[in-house]
Amino acid sequence: MSPESSSPVRRRFRLGPELVLLAVIVLEVLYFQSAGRNFGTAANVANILRQSAEIGLLAVVLTPVILTGGIDLSVGSLLGLCAVTFGMLWQDAALPPWLAALAAISVGALGGGLNATLITRLGLPPLIVTLGTFSLFRGLAEALTAGTRAFTGFPASYLTLGNGFWLGVPVQAWIFAAVTLGVWLLVHRTTFGRSFRAIGFAPEGARYAGLPVARHVSLAYILAGAVAGLAAVIFVSRVTEARANAGTGYELAAITAVVLGGTSIFGGRGSVHGTLLGVAAIAILGNGLSRIVSITAYSRELSGILTGALLLLALAAGAGMKAWAERRARKPTS
Amino acid sequence: MSRYSREFTVAAALALLLAALAIFAPHFFALQPLLSRLTAQTPALVAAIGMTLVIISRQIDISIGAQFGLCSVVAGLLAAAQFPLAVAIAGSVAAGAAMGALNGAFVAGLGLPSIVVTLATMVTWNEALRLWQQGRLLNLPPGTQWFGLSQSTGQLVLITFAVALLASAAWAMRNLAAGRRVYAVGSDAEAARLAGLNPRATTFGVFVLMGALVGVAAVLNVVQSPQVQPTSGDGLELKVIAAAVVGGVAVSGGRGSLWGVFPGLLLLANVNPALTHFHVEAYWEKAIQGFVILLAVMADGLRTRRT
Repeated sequence: MSPESSSPVRRRFRLGPELVLLAVIVLEVLYFQSAGRNFGTAANVANILRQSAEIGLLAVVLTPVILTGGIDLSVGSLLGLCAVTFGMLWQDAALPPWLAALAAISVGALGGGLNATLITRLGLPPLIVTLGTFSLFRGLAEALTAGTRAFTGFPASYLTLGNGFWLGVPVQAWIFAAVTLGVWLLVHRTTFGRSFRAIGFAPEGARYAGLPVARHVSLAYILAGAVAGLAAVIFVSRVTEARANAGTGYELAAITAVVLGGTSIFGGRGSVHGTLLGVAAIAILGNGLSRIVSITAYSRELSGILTGALLLLALAAGAGMKAWAERRARKPTS
Repeated sequence: MSRYSREFTVAAALALLLAALAIFAPHFFALQPLLSRLTAQTPALVAAIGMTLVIISRQIDISIGAQFGLCSVVAGLLAAAQFPLAVAIAGSVAAGAAMGALNGAFVAGLGLPSIVVTLATMVTWNEALRLWQQGRLLNLPPGTQWFGLSQSTGQLVLITFAVALLASAAWAMRNLAAGRRVYAVGSDAEAARLAGLNPRATTFGVFVLMGALVGVAAVLNVVQSPQVQPTSGDGLELKVIAAAVVGGVAVSGGRGSLWGVFPGLLLLANVNPALTHFHVEAYWEKAIQGFVILLAVMADGLRTRRT
């Protein structure tokens, strides 16, 4: 944000949040291994991968959005709209699942495009735009299904996407890994991806440096929308039905994972691998708590409370560290 | 462009909707249902006062739905334990103010973005509420509903109270130093600081007030029925933010007034009844609300661009 946080100081802290998060994950695993029942079994590891793939996908593509200093609250609702689109096209239009899936992903990209247009072309604040589309997308999903209609009875070949294995690993984990790798390469290994951080760090500066800010920011939102569509296809396959309420609250879980992973909500700072660790920390926490027999009944609520508290803690730690780094950087010059 | 042009636009849109209803569905205006519909909006109206202040100070609070649920349960438990109603009200307001103070401490004290802070507190309070109440309905002792008055008197009391609160808050925002401070901090916090104001204290105060008003709103909701529903606050934050934005409060801070919030809220609230009266399916409500929010921000965006 300010020029004082110069690069040497920032480089020294670059691995900070990731290392802390790695330690949290190790502690979680050690604890649940001893306190939980069947936590470390192969079946449960597959479970964790299954449960975290959709939120993980959203978190990974929200990372570029947040790096540019933006936010997208609509991805969970968009997931619901894409799920309904997918179900309708398959059942009412009798499209084969793969074609319906492509259509759902296109609807996601269109939704992301709507966000992108309003944000970059009209210069509206991302928070309120995506709050509006959060309501709009979910509302369209509800309107299309008259609030209650659910699509079920999908063919077994499609259901393996969410419930089957490939080479001993859940199918969706491969997709998640591929998307994560792609986004990681984009953000960390291309000049295009570097511009996300430049834009988040100083949007005006990036524009004066000749970066096509509007175009690059648009791409981040469109990518988020398209992957929300992909997550919808996986979600429907996993739970074997498509409803308007699919993915409710997923945007919050995904944003939590991103921020937990060390990406600054102000933009400009963060990483895709950090997000991946954030997703893992939350997924392991949720699953591990459900494996502890005495609290199984409350595990969902408990993991929600702990995730919220963890997020507040991570935010406070991040703010403290930023202030400290800025003070240190300022000292020699003043 | 006159000062209140935006407020007039919203009021005109509301008048248009009501006129259409008067022509095509005159039974919409039967007195008792109208009174009931208006009463049902009083909690949102009171919460919208707080949200307007929050948005004018360039912040946002999406945890108020969760706060609302917790405050309702606090009020309900105190009333069910045979405490006088005044204690239940005080408990609800105090609980809300405490939760608001936590948000304020993170936002004003640590300089964190309010959207993420209130996202975290929203998740935390929602799950805490679910853990605590498990979705149970709470029965209230007789004499709590409508403060022990008759239904129509109780409704009139609630409506009068909420509108009076709105009017005095609107007056205070325009005429008291505290109100002007909120505008000053919202339009430029750094300039406000250099002018000798304390933006952190103002922001903190606004969040505490937001929480306290949610506590009041929760009471207004609790007394309307014989039971407390822990999920009664679900989606309140969106409804209230939408009302403020549609009412002309700029999300970039520092602009807008409480006068636009009343027609804004009524406009959004009447979408659903209007839909049923025009025989459109009610499932479109959320989509139309989202569309109205986008329309309102687009109008604001185009207007600021022109000036």
